[in-house]
Amino acid sequence: MRSQPFEFRASFIDLEEGLDVLHQSMERLRSATGRTLEDRPLMLFETALGEIGSNVLTHGRPPGTEKPVDYVLRFDAGVVEASLTDSGAPAHEHLAREMPTHDSEQGRGLAMARSLLDELGYRRDGEVNRWRLVKRL
Amino acid sequence: MALDVQTRQTEGGISVVVPTGRLDVAGAPALKDAIGELVKNGPPRVVIDMEGISFVDSTGLGSVISALKQVRGSQGDLRLAAPNQQVRVVLELTTLDRVFPYYATVEEALTGF
Repeated sequence: MRSQPFEFRASFIDLEEGLDVLHQSMERLRSATGRTLEDRPLMLFETALGEIGSNVLTHGRPPGTEKPVDYVLRFDAGVVEASLTDSGAPAHEHLAREMPTHDSEQGRGLAMARSLLDELGYRRDGEVNRWRLVKRL
Repeated sequence: MALDVQTRQTEGGISVVVPTGRLDVAGAPALKDAIGELVKNGPPRVVIDMEGISFVDSTGLGSVISALKQVRGSQGDLRLAAPNQQVRVVLELTTLDRVFPYYATVEEALTGF
């Protein structure tokens, strides 16, 4: 496996477009580092990225806003890190959400992401939410 | 990438639902719609062939839970077949593998159903 630094940046406004870009960025990272779809740590990271990404794309663009979601994916020295910045409402109250019961159809995303990552960072910065996802591969 | 969902009937009257693509927040409504159509026609026995699902997220998983509730609510039953590694990890992480015993292939899921 190759280990040179990798960086990908994008901004998006649409849900499906944004999800496509997130998964395409992971494909590029796999290609750049010689990893396959079966690489389990990267697969776990992509699963967490899909959860936070869909939350941000669903709740992070309140009606009337023209601000896109900003996304950066980096890989260096065996650590993959993603950051997502959105202009939605503060999300503090959702961060500690636990895994719901089996029959619940929603509410698993943040609990899943927490358990799949080495670090799930969140901070409110003025009018934006900044999410940071970190996993050592 | 929109989720494509095809449905076929076996000779034994079992509905095999075949979604292809990402079963995520964008794709989940298509699976819900397909299951909703099956339930309209009486108690269905349904196998969801997951082989074409490249990725599942928690909303996609929610649509499978919804499908199970709909099908069992109409006195039918539902089985999952051929999930890939990522889908299996998500089922195990959420302990939903206890609710959805999955089968390695569609043929196995159809056996004795």
